[in-house]
Amino acid sequence: MIQNLFDGILVGSILSLGAIGLTMVMHMLRFANFSHAELLSLGAYVTFVFDKLLESMVPALSQTIGGLSLTFSLIFAIILSMGVTGVSAIIIDWLVFRRIRDSAGPLSMVFASFGVALIVRNLISLIFGLKPKLYSEEITFAVRVSLDPLILIKLDQVFVLCMALVIMLIFHFVLSRTTFGYALKAVSENPTLSQINGVRLALMIRLIWLIGGGLAAVAGVFYGLNNQVSFLMGKDLVLSLFAAVIVGGIGSIYGAVVGGFLVGLASNMALLILPSGYKPAVPFLIILIILSIRPTGLFGEKK
Amino acid sequence: MKALIFGLTAISLVALAPGLSYSADCTTKVGAVLPTSVDWGRPIAATARMAVDLYNKAGGVKGCKVELILRDTQVDPKVGVDAAKALVDLDKVPVLIGAVSSGVSMPILTSVSVPSNVMQISCCSSSTVFTGLAKDGKTKGLWFRTFTTSRNHAAVAAKIIKAKGYNNLVIFYKNDDWGQDIGKLVKADLEALGVTVKASIAINDGQPSYRAEVVEALKSNPEAAYVALYPKEGIATMREWISLGGTQNLVVANSLRSEEFRDSVGIKYLGKMVGHDSAAPRTASAASFTALYKEAFKKEPSGPGLPNIFDAVMIALLAMEVSPTLSGDVIARSVSKVTDPNGTPIFPDEAGIKQASALLAQGKTIRYQGGTGAVTFDQYGDVSAPGLSWNFSEKGIVELDYITSEDINEFINSLKK
Amino acid sequence: MIGIVSYLVFFLTMGFVLSIAVLGLNLQWGYTGLFNGGVAAFFGAGAYGVILFGGSNKAGQLIGFGLPYPFAVAGAVLLAGLLAWIVGLITTHLRHDYLAIATFGVAIAVENFARNAEPITGGAKGLRGFERPFETVINDPFWFNLAYLIFVFVVLIIVYNILENIGQSPFGRLLRAIREDEVAAQSLGKSPARVRLQAFIFGSMIMGLSGALYATFYAFISPQDIVPILTFQIWSMLIVGGSGNNKGAVFGTLIVWAGWVGSGWVLTQFAPVEMQLYIGTIQFIMIGLIIVLTLLIRPKGLLPEKLIISRSVARVKPE
Repeated sequence: MIQNLFDGILVGSILSLGAIGLTMVMHMLRFANFSHAELLSLGAYVTFVFDKLLESMVPALSQTIGGLSLTFSLIFAIILSMGVTGVSAIIIDWLVFRRIRDSAGPLSMVFASFGVALIVRNLISLIFGLKPKLYSEEITFAVRVSLDPLILIKLDQVFVLCMALVIMLIFHFVLSRTTFGYALKAVSENPTLSQINGVRLALMIRLIWLIGGGLAAVAGVFYGLNNQVSFLMGKDLVLSLFAAVIVGGIGSIYGAVVGGFLVGLASNMALLILPSGYKPAVPFLIILIILSIRPTGLFGEKK
Repeated sequence: MKALIFGLTAISLVALAPGLSYSADCTTKVGAVLPTSVDWGRPIAATARMAVDLYNKAGGVKGCKVELILRDTQVDPKVGVDAAKALVDLDKVPVLIGAVSSGVSMPILTSVSVPSNVMQISCCSSSTVFTGLAKDGKTKGLWFRTFTTSRNHAAVAAKIIKAKGYNNLVIFYKNDDWGQDIGKLVKADLEALGVTVKASIAINDGQPSYRAEVVEALKSNPEAAYVALYPKEGIATMREWISLGGTQNLVVANSLRSEEFRDSVGIKYLGKMVGHDSAAPRTASAASFTALYKEAFKKEPSGPGLPNIFDAVMIALLAMEVSPTLSGDVIARSVSKVTDPNGTPIFPDEAGIKQASALLAQGKTIRYQGGTGAVTFDQYGDVSAPGLSWNFSEKGIVELDYITSEDINEFINSLKK
Repeated sequence: MIGIVSYLVFFLTMGFVLSIAVLGLNLQWGYTGLFNGGVAAFFGAGAYGVILFGGSNKAGQLIGFGLPYPFAVAGAVLLAGLLAWIVGLITTHLRHDYLAIATFGVAIAVENFARNAEPITGGAKGLRGFERPFETVINDPFWFNLAYLIFVFVVLIIVYNILENIGQSPFGRLLRAIREDEVAAQSLGKSPARVRLQAFIFGSMIMGLSGALYATFYAFISPQDIVPILTFQIWSMLIVGGSGNNKGAVFGTLIVWAGWVGSGWVLTQFAPVEMQLYIGTIQFIMIGLIIVLTLLIRPKGLLPEKLIISRSVARVKPE
């Protein structure tokens, strides 16, 4: 029980990071972006490349930190990858979504993003192959915190969780204390009015893609550390990410964080009530229940 | 040393090349519908291609070069069926190789192969539904699969587990038709043997994390674990299992006979692991599928279904060789001449194929012995084969004990009592 | 030549079967604005329904009634309708993306149930045991396929006409009114909640019909047939074709389906041998490009909605 709770929070923190960017895009640009999860896998693979590059250039960086499977080169690689993934998101928007945005309904955007997801996913597999990759083949053992009830915790897990929380906290301060945060709020509430007040909408859109892509890259790497880096990551994660956004309420960044944790917890607690074969359905059934009580999600605005 | 051997074989192959007997202007088409866009599907397709290349090197079918037309199924039944139909109608193939998933092979069989009189041979579709369909006479003898029935695999697994002396264990199975089937059979066999199955855990594809499943299994504190998963999920689950302190007393299915699994989980944690697989009979012949594969790909065969697809392609091509006409039902009837238990044993390397062609041309029968062993189909297109146990070494995969078909059958019968 | 005809018959059969599901979705999204993300669930209910009702009872199987074909199809459609009624009661008050993810969850649950509930659905190995109607009578594969194509085409025409009539009827105007402005519709004394539910159930029943025809064609169904990609395929067909327009829905289905499978055929014909192992992956990239490029060129779909206010207005309008 406690074990499931802890594991749920870990998976949840990864989903939360991915969901923040998705909810921002869904709210600002008014469409469900199916290619967002591919940014996670793009970020994970770009990190993989930088990590291997850095390791071969500066072998000293391949040293692991403390009891983690994390290396210094991986940390630098993540930072580089955040930038690359964010810029890729801007490029995709410029190539595809910007052109459809003005002339058609949101569903055309949704299915254009579905097409983009197919292209990105399979380009990745064409370049990197179909087999999953690992950042480190070493297995780090869990620490037995207690025997009864059984509680096992991996240091990597704690690190990932802390990092995710730190990133969310930083993001929270940016939103609530900076001009950019206010501008973002203004734009999401009323794009036209905010433009009158001197907010540059085009710039804001680019920033949103940059941040969303950056956070997605981190989430992708954390997922890869916890699982494997595979071209199917996007496909495997896209629905959980949407579930997190929806259950939190579209547009609510705090909702996305809570939603991520909720979905993570739901899938880890699922086995307590149902056989493991039914696990994929459980998070969605919980969402169904929450939505039947709160139709616009936990933190969504009612229109 | 290894490089030298490869080099020598390469040179000898080049030297032999001008001796090829087929003329370039005639080709025979064979269709394949395989999931080439899936991680475990692409090596299967590559092996099919290797078998065809080998056959062509030995002279082709009836002196004609074999052209393998490969289509992706996307593991989507309607896409696979459409691809199969296009191969049959537009490319006029008399034989279809595939598919991998039963859920794709089945609609291809019912709506393409049987109506269009095309022989279909699959490497890996394990569903028992096919046997039922054949018993009802709905396959018209056109259906074959080189996948040893899960009944046999499960018996070998149970035998190994019993021999290891484990008193209780947990089962992880892939939540598809193959995994559900073998998971259930192993469980039943073990219970008949008095081994307690503490938990039987379904592993769904593509989950963000498998920790919940692993924790669930750990709770019962089992002595051992039986793992029937494919590499991607197998690696994720077993890394989780070992890092959380799960037992390293592992028994794994043939689907994990892959270097990818060894390297990603780590050989140091797999020392106590044993795998099960179907086996080639122990004959004097030194040649093996593994050797052929290594020659072609410069690495060990890795992943599920590779020897099976090799056999499927070879048997189909040999049956086409001996078949009087290239129509599906005639080829399907000719399969028995290739897999005749009383025929001359043949291993399908280049010399073997040439010998087989010569024997078949004289009206003699052969006993095909390929990657999965001496394949003999029963009247429903199913095969049973001897089994073996294996484990990993630093260099590759080591075969341990050999379990004869007689032993397996005796074991299965003893369970029924 | 006969090969090409035979293949086209096969291709069109699947194209028309999928068109029916797309038409059902058009009623929900194009007319009423219901973002149903669970197409696979209702399609699956129809597909499993027809084999459960029409198939024979097998060992280890709880269900298999062996009903005559028309009853089996009717049962399948009703099963899809029943599922839609239950799902609709819980979800149709949700809006847009919220509705989509809620219904999507239903589709996952249905697929999961089919995969695990072996005594009822056969589990992951699938379900067969179903005689294709008239197959023994016709007894020639080509003519049977042709006959089945005609049958599916007739069903498609019927569904198409019903939907066209609904579209131009007062009920169709009501659906559009709810789509455009629910509060305004409510102020006119209409009950949007009930109408939305009706459209949801009727659209889902059409998807169930499509599923029933699909499973009949293969005489087999497995969970593999109702995985989420199906929902995406059906939706892309509608959006590429043009939502709100039934002609666009059918047209879009054929275009997307031709692109989906045709890209594979083209690649095998023209790609060099060394590329063959990568064809599947390249095929997916081509499919993505087809969808993206169509939407870039025609953002509202190939045949966008034409607003017809009513038949009588259309009639008075001078041509």
